[in-house]
Parts: sequence; C-alpha cells; structure tokens
Amino acid sequence: MLTGSKTTFKVRQMLPDIKERMLSQTGVNARSRDVFGLRCLPGECVLQRAVMVRKKLTAREGRGWLSGTLFCTHFRVAFVPQDSPKLDDNADPVLLGDHDVALASIEKVVVVGPNRTKLVTPNSSLKFTPEELVLYCRDMRVICFLFDRLTPDAQVIEMTYTIAKTYQPPKPGSVLSFQNAALGSVEMKQFLSNRRRDAHMNWFESTSDWEQELERCGAASWRVSSVNDRFEMSTSLSRFIVVPQKVLDTELKKSFAHFNEGRIPRWCWRHPRGSDLLRMASFQNNIYHEKDDIRNLEMVLFGCQSSLCVVVELGEELPSPADIQLAHSRLRALCLGDISTSVSVPDDKWLSTLEGTHWLDYTRSCLRKACEVACLLRGGHLTVALQEVEDRDLSCVVSSLVQVMCDPHCRTQPGFQGLVQKEWVMAGHRFCSRVNYHRDNDKEEAPIFLLFLDCVWQLWSQYPSRFQLTEDFLLALHDSIHLPLFSSFLANCQRERCKRSQNLGQSYTPVNGWRDTLHPDSSSDPSDPPLPAVWDWALQYSKPKQDRFTQPVPPTPPLQPLLNGNLNTNPDTHRLTDTIPGSVFLLSRGTFSCPANLLPWRSGSSGVYKKSHRRAPSSENVPGLERLLKAWALSEFPQSLTSTSGPQGPLDPYEPLLPLLMGPCMGLWRECYLRGALHAQAFSHPFSANHPHPVERLAREVLQLRDKLAQASTAGEGSTPPAVTAEPRRPDANLNQNTNNGGTFLFPAAPRSQGTAAPKAAPPPTSTNQHTSRAPPPGSAPPSRPAHKDAGGSNKHTFLFGHSSASEARPEQRYYPPPNNAKLPKSNGPSLPS
Amino acid sequence: MEKQAGAAGAADGAGPNRKPWGSPTCGPAAGDSLDSPTGSHVEWCKQLIAATISSQISGSVQPDVSIRDKAGRRADFLQDLQDEELCYHGDSDSEPPSNASNLPALRYGAQVKMFQNQVPLLPGETIQTTVKDVMYICPFSGLVNGTLTVTDYKLYFSSVDKESPFILDVNLGAISRLETISVSNQGENTKGLELVCKDMRSPRFAYKTEGRQLDVLEVLVKHAFPLSHSLSLFAFLYKEQFPVDGWKVYDPAAEYRRQGLPNESWTISKMNITYELCDTYPSVLVVPTNITEEDIRRVAVFRGRHRIPVLSWIHPESQASIVRCSQPLVGPSDRRCKEDERFLQIIMDANAQSHKLTIFDARQSSVAVTNKAKDGGFESESFYPNVELNFLEIPNIHVMRESLRKMKDVVYPTIDEAHWLSAIDQTHWLEYIRLLLSGAAKVADKLESGKTSVVVHCSDGWDRTAQITSLAMLMLDSYYRTLRGFQVLVEKEWISFGHKFSARVGHGDENHANSERSPLFIQFIDCVWQMTRQFPAAFEFNELFLLTVVDHLYSCLFGTFLFNSEQERTAKEVQTQTVSLWSYINSQPEDFTNPFYVDYKNHVLYPLVSSRHLQLWTGYYARWNPRMRPQVPVHQTLKELLILRAELQRRVEELQREAATHSLSSSSDHSPSPTHTTGTPLHTAV
Repeated sequence: MLTGSKTTFKVRQMLPDIKERMLSQTGVNARSRDVFGLRCLPGECVLQRAVMVRKKLTAREGRGWLSGTLFCTHFRVAFVPQDSPKLDDNADPVLLGDHDVALASIEKVVVVGPNRTKLVTPNSSLKFTPEELVLYCRDMRVICFLFDRLTPDAQVIEMTYTIAKTYQPPKPGSVLSFQNAALGSVEMKQFLSNRRRDAHMNWFESTSDWEQELERCGAASWRVSSVNDRFEMSTSLSRFIVVPQKVLDTELKKSFAHFNEGRIPRWCWRHPRGSDLLRMASFQNNIYHEKDDIRNLEMVLFGCQSSLCVVVELGEELPSPADIQLAHSRLRALCLGDISTSVSVPDDKWLSTLEGTHWLDYTRSCLRKACEVACLLRGGHLTVALQEVEDRDLSCVVSSLVQVMCDPHCRTQPGFQGLVQKEWVMAGHRFCSRVNYHRDNDKEEAPIFLLFLDCVWQLWSQYPSRFQLTEDFLLALHDSIHLPLFSSFLANCQRERCKRSQNLGQSYTPVNGWRDTLHPDSSSDPSDPPLPAVWDWALQYSKPKQDRFTQPVPPTPPLQPLLNGNLNTNPDTHRLTDTIPGSVFLLSRGTFSCPANLLPWRSGSSGVYKKSHRRAPSSENVPGLERLLKAWALSEFPQSLTSTSGPQGPLDPYEPLLPLLMGPCMGLWRECYLRGALHAQAFSHPFSANHPHPVERLAREVLQLRDKLAQASTAGEGSTPPAVTAEPRRPDANLNQNTNNGGTFLFPAAPRSQGTAAPKAAPPPTSTNQHTSRAPPPGSAPPSRPAHKDAGGSNKHTFLFGHSSASEARPEQRYYPPPNNAKLPKSNGPSLPS
Repeated sequence: MEKQAGAAGAADGAGPNRKPWGSPTCGPAAGDSLDSPTGSHVEWCKQLIAATISSQISGSVQPDVSIRDKAGRRADFLQDLQDEELCYHGDSDSEPPSNASNLPALRYGAQVKMFQNQVPLLPGETIQTTVKDVMYICPFSGLVNGTLTVTDYKLYFSSVDKESPFILDVNLGAISRLETISVSNQGENTKGLELVCKDMRSPRFAYKTEGRQLDVLEVLVKHAFPLSHSLSLFAFLYKEQFPVDGWKVYDPAAEYRRQGLPNESWTISKMNITYELCDTYPSVLVVPTNITEEDIRRVAVFRGRHRIPVLSWIHPESQASIVRCSQPLVGPSDRRCKEDERFLQIIMDANAQSHKLTIFDARQSSVAVTNKAKDGGFESESFYPNVELNFLEIPNIHVMRESLRKMKDVVYPTIDEAHWLSAIDQTHWLEYIRLLLSGAAKVADKLESGKTSVVVHCSDGWDRTAQITSLAMLMLDSYYRTLRGFQVLVEKEWISFGHKFSARVGHGDENHANSERSPLFIQFIDCVWQMTRQFPAAFEFNELFLLTVVDHLYSCLFGTFLFNSEQERTAKEVQTQTVSLWSYINSQPEDFTNPFYVDYKNHVLYPLVSSRHLQLWTGYYARWNPRMRPQVPVHQTLKELLILRAELQRRVEELQREAATHSLSSSSDHSPSPTHTTGTPLHTAV
C-alpha cells in the first residue's frame, strides 16, 4: 500500500528533481502508466492516496455518489471510480480524467468533520478527522468527497494536508510550476510537439487563414494586409489584418497613428446581405494636416461601402470591465455558498440577490447591443464599425455575439472556435490580464470572456436547435479558462504569444504564420513546457465527453456557397433611403445622430475638410436606419416586421437569432453556476444504467440491428440487405423536400451528406477509432462500442451524445495522427532514457 | 369542441406572438417551432431519431416517407388555416390558432356549430348578446375595434379589421369581477369595462352605450356569475359527447385494492356511506381494523368537522402509511380523548417497522397555538406516547391569496425588466412553493427512509393537508405520475376528500372579495410543475396537461371541480349531469403525453427545494404577455416525437424480422454477436 511508502513533497522542493524522478520512473512505467489504478501522465507522481472515498455527483452527472479511490498528484486531485474500465495503454495521455480536478483550479479546500467545518490552508493543522472534503474551484465547481469510516484516518489526514500544501496558492510564479507539473516531462513535451492543429477550424494565424475567411464570407473587396507583420504598426493587433482592397499598405501605414494603440478599423465579418462589420479603437486626438491622411482614414473606415457608415460606440451602454468583475464576484459568492463561512443567502432573498449582482443585466445589455448591430447589418450595404476605447474588451463580446446571431457557421463547434480565435485570441483580448492568471494584477481582472459565454448560453437556451455546439461545449470552454495551461489564454496578444514561442526556440516564420505546434527539437532543452491551444480538447476530455460538445445532427441545412457574397436577392426591401455618400451616423442609446465631431478629422477645426465634396449628413437619412432598428425592437412584439425576413422566411439561415430579453426570458446558467451548489440533495436520480431511456433503448437497438444487417450482408454475399446498400446514396432529396414543406419535425439531411461530402477531411488510415457504425468494412469483427456503454447510463444527455458519434459519421478526429502513427510518444518514452 | 381547443389555446397563450399582428400573410409559424425553448432535450431526441431513421431509410423502400408527407401536409394545412383567417393578436387565447396548433382537438371540433359572425360554439352553448363597435384596450399594442359576443360560456371578441384579425376569448368562469372603468378619452356615451380574471389577466373594453340594447355588462354579470343570479353553471348545459367516460377514472375500491388494501391492519369502511359520520369526507374510508365503530364516532367528535384520521396511502413494503385528518379539538383546556389517542396508537402499530408516529401539522406553530383558543389545537406529545409532532410552518389561505394577487401585479400587464427578479421575491410565491415541496419531501422521506407512519393535518384538513399528502404521494408512488394516476390522485386527495373547490375558486359566484377564495390548487399544480422540471422523464403527462387542468379549474365547463364535497356532488348529480374533465383529456391522451416518460417504478423523487432550483412557472403566470417566447410548438413537437418514435419502433421491428431471416439463411459461419437481441419487445410506457 502506498501509505507505507508515501512520499509527500512540497511542490517547490519537488521541482528541481522532477526530471530525475521522471527518468527513473519511465523505465518502471514503460509497460503501464497505471499507478495504483490511476493513469498517470508521464512524469506524474502520486503523492497521496485514499481508498474507499465517495464522490458526490452533480445533477448533470446523475446525482448520487460514486465510490472509488482518491489521489493527489503534484498536478491534480484525481478520483478513480471503482470498476472503471481499464484504459488502453497506448492511448494518448489525457490531462484530466472525468472526475479529476487540476490543482490550479482549486481555490479553496474545506473539510467537514463531526459538527464542524474548517478551511484548510497550507499551514493549518487538523484537530479532527475529516469526514468530507470539499474543493471549491475557480470555475465554480464544488467537488465534494466523502470519506468512509473504513478509510484509514492517516490517509484522510495526509490527503487533506497534501492537497492543501500542493494546490496552487494564488501568487505570481505558481503558474509556471503548475505548467511544469502538467506538461514539463520530456515525454509530454514530445507528445505535445507532435500534436497537429485541428484542421477543421480556422486559426487566423496566416494570410491564407484570413483569405479563407474572406472567401467564406464572400468579402471580395477586402484584402489581407501584412503591414503589421512585425507588430511595428500596432503591438496588440494581430500580424495580419483585413483592410479594403483599394487601400495600399503605404497609405495604410499613415492611419495607425490616428487610433488608440494603432488599432485601426479592421474588417471582422461580412453579412450575407452585403454589410460589413468593423472594429476599431477610439480616435487619437491628432491634428489632421494632410488631405491624403483623411482620404485614407475615410477609405479605411467606409470599407467597401461607399455610402453609409454607422459607428457603434460601445462604451456608454455596456458595463465596464470593473462592473463585470464586481458582478461576477458577487455572482460567485451567491452561487457557491460556502460551508466554511456559512454565509449563504437566505432562500427568500435569492432572486433579489441575484438581481443585485447585475450579472443578468450586463448579459442583457451585451445581447441588446449585439441585436441592434445584427439588425443594422441585416439592412444591407452599410458598414458598421464597433468602437471602443481600447477595442480589446467589449468589442470582442459584441462583434462575436453578432456573428453568433447571424452566421450559422459560428454556431458550429469549429466555427465557434474560429470565431474565438478571430475576435478574441488574435484580436488581442487581454486574456492573461483579464483572467489574472499570475495573480499580479487584480485591478485588471475582469471575466469578460465568461460574460460572453453567458451571452452565448442565453442564445443557446432560447434557440437550442439552431446551434450545433452544445451547452457542454460552452461549459468546457468556461472551465478551461481557469486552467493556466493553454497558449490561447496565457497571453494578451499575438505578439506575446510569438515572443514566447521564440523563446522556446521556435523559428520565426513570417510567411506562413506562427504555429503553436512546436518543432520536435524545441522540446529538448527549454525550461518552459510548450503550451497547447485550448482547442486541443483531447488533452482535457475523453472521447465520450467530447462527443457531447456537438449535437448529433447539424441543425441547419448545409449552406449554399454565397454568390458574390450577397444573399440580398430582394434588395428593394432593404434599400435604405438614398443616402449621401459618406454619411456617418453614431448609434447610441438606440438612436442615431451625427454629432459634428464624430469623425475628428471632419470637425471644423481641421479646416482642411471643409472643401471636401462631402457635406454633413442630413437627418432625413435617419429614418431608414431607425426602421432597421425598429425591426429589432418590435421583434419582441408580435408585430415584428416579418417583411424583413423576405421571401425565404424563417428558413433563411442568415436571419439573426434575436433573443428575447425580457425578465422572464433571461435565465441563470444554472448548469454552470449552480453545479456545485451544496444545497443539492444527493438522492439518486432516476436515470440509471439499468433504466435506459426508451429513446435510448430504441436507438441502441437500431444500431445493433444495423450492425447485424451489415454482418448478414457480408455473410450472405448474394443477398445484400437494402439498408446497407442504400446507405451511401442518401435519400436526401426526400428529406429536404419535406423540410421545405414545412413539416416542423423534419430534419435536414445534413449528417450523411456532410460525412460523404467531406471525405478528404478524414484520412483513410485512421479507422483506429470507433467509427464502425458507419458502413462497416466488410468482414469486420463485431463492432465494439465502448463509448456508448460508458455514456449510456448516467443521463439522457449522455446517451444522446454518446450515440452521436455512432449515428453521425462526421469525421471526428480533431488531430490527425502523424503519419508515423500516434504511438510515437509512448514508444519513444522508454527508448529515451535507455 | 373548441373549448378544449380553448384550453389548449390557453396553454398556447404564453406564446402568442407567432402571428404578427399587422401582416396577415406572414406565416413563419412552422419555422418558428424549431426555436421552441423546450429545452435542448427535445431537439436532441428529434435529431437523434431523425438521424437514426434516415440512416435506416433504404434507397427504394421508404415506408416512413408517407408518414412524413402526411405530417408535411398537415403542416401545410395548419399553415393555410393560419394564413387565411387565423392570425391573431398576441395576448389572446384565441381559439383558432389553438385549434390549429392542437389539431387533434378538432376531432371533436367537428361538432362546433358555426354561428353568425363565426363565433364558434360548443354543444349546448348559446349566444346571449352581440355588441358591435367595441374597442379592446390592448395593454400591449393599443386599441382594437371589433365585435363582442357574450355567450353563456364565454366572451368572444373579434376584430373587424380583416387585415389584422384578432380574437380574444375569455371563459366567463375565469372572471373574478367586472369593473367599470373610466374611458373619458374615448368620447361621450362610452363605457369602460374591465374583466378582472382569476387566470392572471385583466382585459379591458370600451363600448358605446346606446340604450336600446341590453347593457352588455348586465348580460356579462348574469352569465359570469350564474349562481348569484339563480342560473345554473354552464357545465350543466354542456352537451359534448366523449368516447371515454372520465367519471370512471376514479374508483375508490379499485384504488385501495391497488395499494393492497384492505389488509390485516386496515379495513375499508362503509360507515360514511350516507355522509352521516362526516359530511365532507368521501363515502368510502380506510380505517384501522382494530377499532370499533363506536370509538370512531367518538374520535369524530374530537376532530374538527368530524374529519377523523383515515388512510391515504400505504407503503407497499414497509406498511408505513400516510394518514390525514383535521386538527384535534383540544381547546384551551387541553381536552383529551382516549379513543383518539388509541386511534393513533393503532395506526402506529399497523406498521411493524417503526415504533413511532410522526404528526406533521402543516400550520405555523404560532397559528396552531392560537387555534387552541378557538377550540382547536394540536396533539400534545405528552398525551400521545411515541408521537413526534412537527410543524411545517405553512401560512394560511389568506396569505396565499395575497401572494398570488401580488404576482398578478408583477406579470400583468407589464413586466418591469429591471426589477423582475426582486419583484418575484417580494410576492413570496416561490417561497411558499418551497415550503410545500419541502414539507411533502419531509413526509415522503419519513415514510421511505424512516419507515414511519405519518399523520398530516392542518386546521380542517382540506387545504394544506391535501397539498402535502398529494405531493408526498406523487413523490412516493410512480403510479400517480402517470396520466391516469394523476387523475386518480386529484380525484382522491382533492375532490373526494372535500377540498372546497367551490369556495376556494368561487365558481359562478359574484362575491369576489370572499375571504374563502384562495389559489391552493394552483399552488399544488405549480409544485407538480416544479417536479416535472426537475425530473423531466418521470412524469407521463406534459405541461399542457397541467395548464389544461388549471384552466378548467375555473372554466365551469366540466363538472370535475364543481362543488365542495362528494356529498354535494352526489346531491347535484354531477356525474350524470355534467362531463368530466378527464373525459376530454383521456379522449386524446396523445396531446397530454410526455414522450420522454420512463416509468421509474419504486423510485422516490425528492425534488430539490432550495429556491435556487425553483423557477417561476412563466408558462402559466406570464403567458398573456405577447413578448414571451411562443410556447405553441412545444406540445406540438412532443406529439410529433411520439409519432416519430412509433414509426421508429415499427422500423425496428421490421428490421428485426429481416435480420432474423438473414441470420437464418446465412448464419453458420459467424457466431451470434453479443448484441443479439432479436425479438426484444420494444415497449415503452406511453
């Protein structure tokens, strides 16, 4: 037993000899990385173990208790349930198992003893034997372990001490030691450096990535400029930016000075009806001497729409980062409750207190602003420029929300990931400061990204069927933010990320863009481990859990490619009243205005502009715009102007999802914030493995029968059953027809057609994973489907997701195993020390 | 049969804004349905089923296409219906859209007589007056000009504007009071009328008074409050024929037999067959075997309104029971009653598992004490050995009435966005819901975990007692979570045991200020709704069912909820003279069925009672607000799911047969796979 030879280290003591330890261990563990039933990461050592522990399951996990063994390593607190299936030794390492929690996520350790609770700190000593161990996490989970009477007291106490001592106290520097603990081993480095990026999503790292996006949106009159290639123009902007075709780089260079941090108006997205969405920082109070300057500025700002530009000022109506931080900390305090201090809001004040956090108000105001912008864009042929002082916080929220509302692609998992890459990671949202990983800058801390996720959740909960991604995905992203392991979040802008990778010996590749996958040789010496991108979900989540990130069937029919980027087949309905070319309006508080100093260079003082052919816009243009906005305001009412939806009606996939923002329609994201509510009773939920849901039983049976039919067909060659032969040629036509007929429950025939339409995406030899359900190769063994068995029981969602992989056939691999096969890290592991 | 549709419409009412008012040929209704907030689960299942179905469709044979076509046609039909004439304004529970969205209700709708002015009438319904040129003062979008028709069952308003059809329909039974309001800005000779309704809305009208006609107000008053005007309730005029007789749903003997009664400790007594022992109790009672009739009569004298302890439910394994009664009449002098003490002792002894008995007094302890002065009181633990007394601290009916009144101010007509949550808090409605649920959970836990028998009472034992016992039984016994079982539960614990529906609801009575009125049954249904939210697959019925039940609590269309006691109902021959609500519901059960239902036998459901896990039932309380998300497609989608599932099951069976023949013809070389389940009957509990 471990108790005899237990090894308790302080983290900092342990760090120096990590390598030696690991080297000595690799030989031992070469055959199996299991230590007492725990699948360890390379180099991970078990510090403490306690047997006969029960973990309290949340409602999402099915409630009740799960018994097993609790471990504390120098990276995580791991829980291995009894009878958990033995994993394949050659499987890729997963950082966190389904029941694990990373030490860095733990915020507070509380033990409950007979009649008392105690907050445990690294220095505290226990005067009683805990019965219960409660871990409060930064991501608002509360994980509760119950010790059995049969658990040896020594194990219980040592476990508590070990966790209290090794979890990361919030101070500068602890992040690095945590990263080392997780990823620092040679094997892990090697493993990470061999990871391939997910090719399904757009990473917006190279010119070709941006060009692909331009093409996808049909934005023909824009181009990718590499004028900021070495971050000389703007340190916080990405290396590549999208500007109007007609503006030359040399002209462009002069514009940077006129904007805060050089964040000039840049293209974000093009609405299918031909409007463009731009983002920019506030104007610098410069003097505009040169006429050319002004011409360039106007060209950049107006983009490709000659006539009309609406500047949406984000500062005024939206909460400030400080507001958001305050609201979130209140929400946290409210939702987590805390048995150690027993300050829990009384039940009859719960809603009032929730209201008092203003979190929902802020969510609503962001959504409202995004709705306004979405409605403007729907009008067609205008430019909407989001302006924020720094252009690094709420403009990220609003621009990405607009795209989620308007662009079905952004409601798919890869699309959403691309969106976050584009509008947050590359656009220079200061993740590192806002999340405050290093605990060195409390003033800057503000969970703006979490506010965005909440907004997306609100949209999702009102339009669940219009999203391909799921709540589980949003939750996973929410939790990942709190794990200081991902390159996506550990820097404030692309420049910082590049710097870091340069330090790691990454060769600087200006042309193709920088990659966060590392050169194999980069892992040989550096002290810092390479950081994966957050999108490498396989590092964090098992396959069945990842399967739950997406709906089994894509919600909308596959989009037709845009024709010239313009879906506006009926332009008259959207044509605004004739506007004077070059009109600029300010949208603020739901009304349009054209203040004289909106564009500083146009204000009278400059003197130069007076001679311009452009005159001040008259107010008669405003009604046209206001009509667009009204469409949004009315959409909350029955009288909504359905005319705007045009002949395509609700089938138009680009019709924005406008959420209802009235009090009763805005909900609290319970699945996230109330996950660990200690008030939850631990009675077992009626869903269990023994009582599968009828739909599940049905689905399972269908799958089994399909397999059997496949078998039968291969056996009796002559008589091929119709179900199998028919599979490749899908009766899509019928389904689609029905969809058009307006049958509400008919579904787009997307899954199959996508699967077959994208065969190139799936590299043929990767059939090692369990995609046996689809057209099993002739003569294959009876397919094993462990994923379903795992996923089947706990609740209905589980099963649905679980089956999704099978019933779907979407190419699921997020990473293509390198040609030489995925076993590389493991086979290399033992060979290295030898 | 359009009243049923009306009920559905009421259900739909929450989502009225599907038909944009102002554009008659809008029709995105069908598309909208995809956005229904049923929760993702519905969507998941739909998609999963669709995926599996589509993956099963063979190239040539497509038996399910016909189904789909049918569905498609039906959808088209709906579309047409709606496009032609049924566009309606948001805040109504207007009939046609509900007909359309709830098509099977039309099964009986064929009998609807279309009368002049196209007012749909129920069998037996007659038009009382029609007034032209009435303005409906819509709180959401201004004035609507139209024609107002009053029948003996409903008020029916339809706009004259053909461009923007608008229909509003209010059951007269739902009207709590009629008020004249000042509408001075509408010109002279104009009267204003406000219908303050029990179902959380107050439509207002303005109309010209021209003298020659009978004032519409008089007609309305007469038929809205028929009992106050020596008229009979509409339920006695209603002539609909249903294929199923809902009065047969509850048979006390059968229900007790289901529970395993009588047994050696409990017997079914006919002592009250003439309602002589207790006039508010049912004729069939379950009492302990070892007690004489003489003793029972003495106990009856000692208990308030002679409501003696009788068994409501017995645990099939532990024999622990739920017993209900009224308060003991201990009075200020702490009277004792030997027979009553012995009675409780026998109840305790009937359960061999425990030597204790727990009494749950639903009242607040302070109130129980003051009741002593009024000759009531509670059991003293010193006189009743081994008895443990708990107070559930639930406030009385007046507090509940006030709470719901405040709730109405919060949800109708306008919703204050900024203070929505705190406004709900201030009504305390959810707090009372929490008290009820937690009280019932305590009872259930005592029985299930403590294996101890429980006595529940309040003052009279017909309000809070009914709430607590019925909720506890719902948690304990999966039978009551079925569509049929729930009807039995309501019939038993509420209707037969003398919850004073007539007094609490005030059917046909104009005395709106009567302090006897209180929304206790609404509270109960709300609690059930909270449980269905927390255990979405554990209940066979859906939200529409609950909405239908509460709507017909007021409507006076069915006899189910009329009168105060079984005795009164027998005297008025309710069963022969009126139709049961369950006749309507059980004639089209597919509308009210939850497709995700799983019969979790022997599973006790303990709802989470923290207010963090309770929600306001906006689908009921806030449904008249047109800005609420359309709820219409929800039950429609559910029904489609049922169809899809049936279709899928059919295909499974077909494939199984096919697979069987294949494995017969070509089996020998591969051993049967572990997944060999040919012939497994796919039965689901629907």
